[in-house]
Amino acid sequence: MMSTVQAAWVIARRDFMATVMSRAFVLFLLFPVLMIALAGGFGVMNAKAEKQENRPRVAVIASEADFAPIAAARARLLPAFGAWDLAELTRADPDYDQADQAKRLLAAPDKRLVAVLAGGLARPRLTGAVDPGDRIVRQVKGILDEAERQAALASAHLAPPPVKVDLVQVEESAGALALERSATARAGQWLLFMVTVMLAGMLLSNFIEEKSNKVIEVLAAAIPIDAVFLGKLAAMLTVSLCGLAVWVGAGIAAAQIWASGGGVSLPSPALGWPLFLILCFLYFAMNYLLLGGLFLGIGSQASSVREVQSISMPVTIGQVVIFFLASAAAGQFNGPLGIGAAVFPFSSPMMMIARAAQVNELWPHLAALVWQGLWVWVVIRLGAALFRRNVLKSGGTAAAAFGPRRRLIAGGLLRR
Amino acid sequence: MSNSLAIEARGLFKAFDGKPAVDGIDLNVPEGTIYGVLGPNGAGKTTTLRMLLGIIDPDSGTRRLLGRDEPLDAAAQVGYLPEERGLYPSMKTREAIAFMGALRGLPLATGRVRADGLLKDNGLGDYADKPVKSLSKGMAQTVQLFGTIVHRPKLIVLDEPFSGLDAINQGRLEAMIREEAAGGATIIFSTHVIAHAERLCERIAIIAGGRVRFEGRVDEARGRLRPQVRLRTRAEDGDWRSALPPSARREEGEWRFELPKGGIEPLLRALLDGGAGIEDLSIERPGLHEAFVAIAGAEAASQMNVPTAGEAA
Repeated sequence: MMSTVQAAWVIARRDFMATVMSRAFVLFLLFPVLMIALAGGFGVMNAKAEKQENRPRVAVIASEADFAPIAAARARLLPAFGAWDLAELTRADPDYDQADQAKRLLAAPDKRLVAVLAGGLARPRLTGAVDPGDRIVRQVKGILDEAERQAALASAHLAPPPVKVDLVQVEESAGALALERSATARAGQWLLFMVTVMLAGMLLSNFIEEKSNKVIEVLAAAIPIDAVFLGKLAAMLTVSLCGLAVWVGAGIAAAQIWASGGGVSLPSPALGWPLFLILCFLYFAMNYLLLGGLFLGIGSQASSVREVQSISMPVTIGQVVIFFLASAAAGQFNGPLGIGAAVFPFSSPMMMIARAAQVNELWPHLAALVWQGLWVWVVIRLGAALFRRNVLKSGGTAAAAFGPRRRLIAGGLLRR
Repeated sequence: MSNSLAIEARGLFKAFDGKPAVDGIDLNVPEGTIYGVLGPNGAGKTTTLRMLLGIIDPDSGTRRLLGRDEPLDAAAQVGYLPEERGLYPSMKTREAIAFMGALRGLPLATGRVRADGLLKDNGLGDYADKPVKSLSKGMAQTVQLFGTIVHRPKLIVLDEPFSGLDAINQGRLEAMIREEAAGGATIIFSTHVIAHAERLCERIAIIAGGRVRFEGRVDEARGRLRPQVRLRTRAEDGDWRSALPPSARREEGEWRFELPKGGIEPLLRALLDGGAGIEDLSIERPGLHEAFVAIAGAEAASQMNVPTAGEAA
């Protein structure tokens, strides 16, 4: 008989070619590009909308001369607040009845005003649906204070020069590095989660074809079901890695073409970039094999696409829960939650990727990879055993997955 | 003895949802024979074959396939055509055959070359590069059969191989089965059409209700029944009638009865001496159908497919 690995290779080769040579694979490759384009499009639209709608606006009823010192005070404060956070001021020529004018301005839908300031610096009066503690009230007060102070300085003929601060930059500080590495850890976890959610879900429906066209009978008669599972998993992992390679390659190319230098840079992880990236790859593979194996096992029980659709929702929620567990535990690696998340096989890869970003120790990764590999084996055997029992209606129980020969002997003894 | 058996099964038992589907089946399939498993639908034929091949494990009992306790250990020397045919629809015909060979350990390149040969020799050469979904049902079945034998197995297991084939393709399949057997392969096939088993098989197992009712050579099965005598006489009555066996019955103007143990001569003498006037006398060996009725019962026999003229041809 062929070994399980040889048999799995026959299955993997067929599945890989069938997937890669299909038209759907082009769509699969384009999917993230479309997603990024859509997200980018929405981002721009949202930003525009925010720019127009969400900046608080205050109308100032004042003559040009009265408005100038207030506008100048705002301009002085602007660098400290940022354009998005500081209220925007617009001037309105004073009418005869300013109280009535303020109400009319606030009611005008096209002006989108939060409050109206009248009375100038001498007797400022703010009208609006605001509370005394609201940010907009505090900002208006601050602007008026600044204008008052400038006026006082001007009348005293004082013009203090801006304070000069000598800035001494250092490469890293312990506090900043820990903070930034935690960002790298979370980015790693998030990436692992997103990519696995996107790719492993495909495995849920992977057995439908074989079951609907009865090929499964041909496969089951020739090779162990374990090999079918292993082969399918390996094929889909390879397909996913191909997809990732194309996406990462396209991402790098796009960055080379469009990025104007700089950009977002993540701080160097605790184990250094080369080792961290190798671990990223290995943990992605383990995460994919563990969750994919689980999905393949669950999906293989379904007999129709409809059933797969019903299963996919709880499965995705399960993934999200695991992600939350791993991200909650990130940072407390030696605490009970951290150790629990590292030992629990399905959260282990995500937990360990965070560890690689933040802790400078190699041996836990070797132990974790062996541990996760063991669980991949367990998941495949369990999935295959359930498939044999529930789908092929073979005898025995899930426990038989780990000792089929022993069970045969037991059967023989019973018979005697 | 066991060295010359391709399949040896002892006490195979399998129940689904508490209901026995196969209830203690013993089988001995000698190497190099064409062996038929006969039975009506639902008799347990497919479950038996699936257990023999290791697709499912029996609840109890043992089976040896080509001398191996684990059927999958012999997979490289076994070919299997399931009752519900299964091919990947998008796969090219050549690739589908080579893939089935690869599952049994045949290198893919060799499988492709042999697939081309098989397709060409059977007039399907033009379809080598066409996807399976473009084939007719009969063609797809033939392609699956090629996939079953492409690795030149020592044991070929065919589950209802004739169903869905027209008379011409049934004839071709019979020829192919004989050819493979002549080449030294052991062939076991299940069928609910007695005529196929009668024409092809050296040995048969008759299964009904999950049990083996008969296992042995086809002539042994037929030998279980005495030959049937049909006699038509001019005289309706006379002393010669006492020479007829007590079980003789008169139907459609003729006497029908089993050939007496002492042979036909004493009866013949009594007929001549008594002036019965023999118009017609025939001694017919019982067919497998009659043997099946006698062995499995009339009810099981009524579920068997009575071959049409085309099928029997």
